[in-house]
Amino acid sequence: MNPVGVVTQVNGREIARSVPARMTLVEFLRDELGLTGTKVSCELQVCGVCTVLVDRKPVSSCAFLAVDIDGREVTTIEGVASDGKLHPIQQAFIDHFALQCGFCTPGFVMMAVALLEEVPQPTPEQVVSYLEGNICRCTGYRSILEAVLDAADRLERASP
Amino acid sequence: MSVLPSFEHLRPADLHEALDAISFDDPVYAGGTELLLAMRSGLLRPSSLIDIKRIPELDRIGQEDDDVVIGGTVSHAAATADPVVLSAAPVLPKVLAHVGNPRVRAFGTLGGNLCFAEPKSDVATILISLSADVELASKNGRRRLPVEDFIIGPYTTARNEGEILVSILIPPTADPMVYEKFQTMERPTVGVAARLLEDGSLRVVVGAVGGAPEPFDFSSVHEVNSGHIADRVEVIPDLTGSERYKRHVTRVVLGRTLAQLEGLA
Repeated sequence: MNPVGVVTQVNGREIARSVPARMTLVEFLRDELGLTGTKVSCELQVCGVCTVLVDRKPVSSCAFLAVDIDGREVTTIEGVASDGKLHPIQQAFIDHFALQCGFCTPGFVMMAVALLEEVPQPTPEQVVSYLEGNICRCTGYRSILEAVLDAADRLERASP
Repeated sequence: MSVLPSFEHLRPADLHEALDAISFDDPVYAGGTELLLAMRSGLLRPSSLIDIKRIPELDRIGQEDDDVVIGGTVSHAAATADPVVLSAAPVLPKVLAHVGNPRVRAFGTLGGNLCFAEPKSDVATILISLSADVELASKNGRRRLPVEDFIIGPYTTARNEGEILVSILIPPTADPMVYEKFQTMERPTVGVAARLLEDGSLRVVVGAVGGAPEPFDFSSVHEVNSGHIADRVEVIPDLTGSERYKRHVTRVVLGRTLAQLEGLA
């Protein structure tokens, strides 16, 4: 099968590759680029673990073709922190103990990034509704909700 | 390690090229939210995917004559945020905002939703209650038919081989409308749309419990009997419940829907 050319930006880095059409985005990120922060679980788009942003919109990278990032920019959990400093959402997750085993955390953080870009000051109901498609089997939902709400406040205070 | 079977990826530049390329073995590919899962599970093994996402004329929302026209590859999220859609059919963005999850809504398309004909689709149910049509294009021309006739049964539509769903057409309405669903998993157990028409008649569409959304028409609100609809509607037992359970939940959700509609009228 003919490989397809992909020119993209991943976490701000220009990347040009030739990929098989059947390669999923998460296979591209983990196997081609070595970005293993993105995890895979259900492979059905229902658990949210593999969430990354494509043109700042959240996608399940397990059910998204790598060829579709051609001409678009991708942000993964590795691209959230900057200058060696955690993103306020990541720091809020730590401060609120919003993770136990941590497997679902990259997905929750990416969803929170997408939510707070769209709705900078969400209500608790909006956060719950937005994160409905993400599953945490350590049942840390309460602390995740608190972390996202607190992160929204931190981001607001930080922006002029 | 690849989880998907091999296929070619084709990206036609326009609708004309896409219509030349599609066939049963070379299906249309847009959001991929259903198609890729069907391929992973081995249900489909296409030889190529005809990617229509980057065809500009399919990704537009506009107005044509009196109708709102939503292009076949417009995502749930884009339709939800569109002012034209909101003013023509205020109930629609409310329904679309709760389809699947934000990732599915960001890339899953309305056209794909209808063409896949998932029996639990909220979109088919609300579009039938809105008396929406679909427009299909093929090399031989175009045809238009009501969504109600387009959705034939589970995963089955009236779309012929060689046809692409190019748009969804919605006649604007200010009729009081309500959509209520009951959901404990990724997809609803039951979804009910109710619409009070200008002449006082009422249309109720019950979705998700059976093979396809089922409309029930009444000449006035006083004639509706939730128990009667819940007894008559086609119900298929599955993981979301037994037949008895689904009939019960249908009656309850119908009651809630009609109570809300009364509040609007």
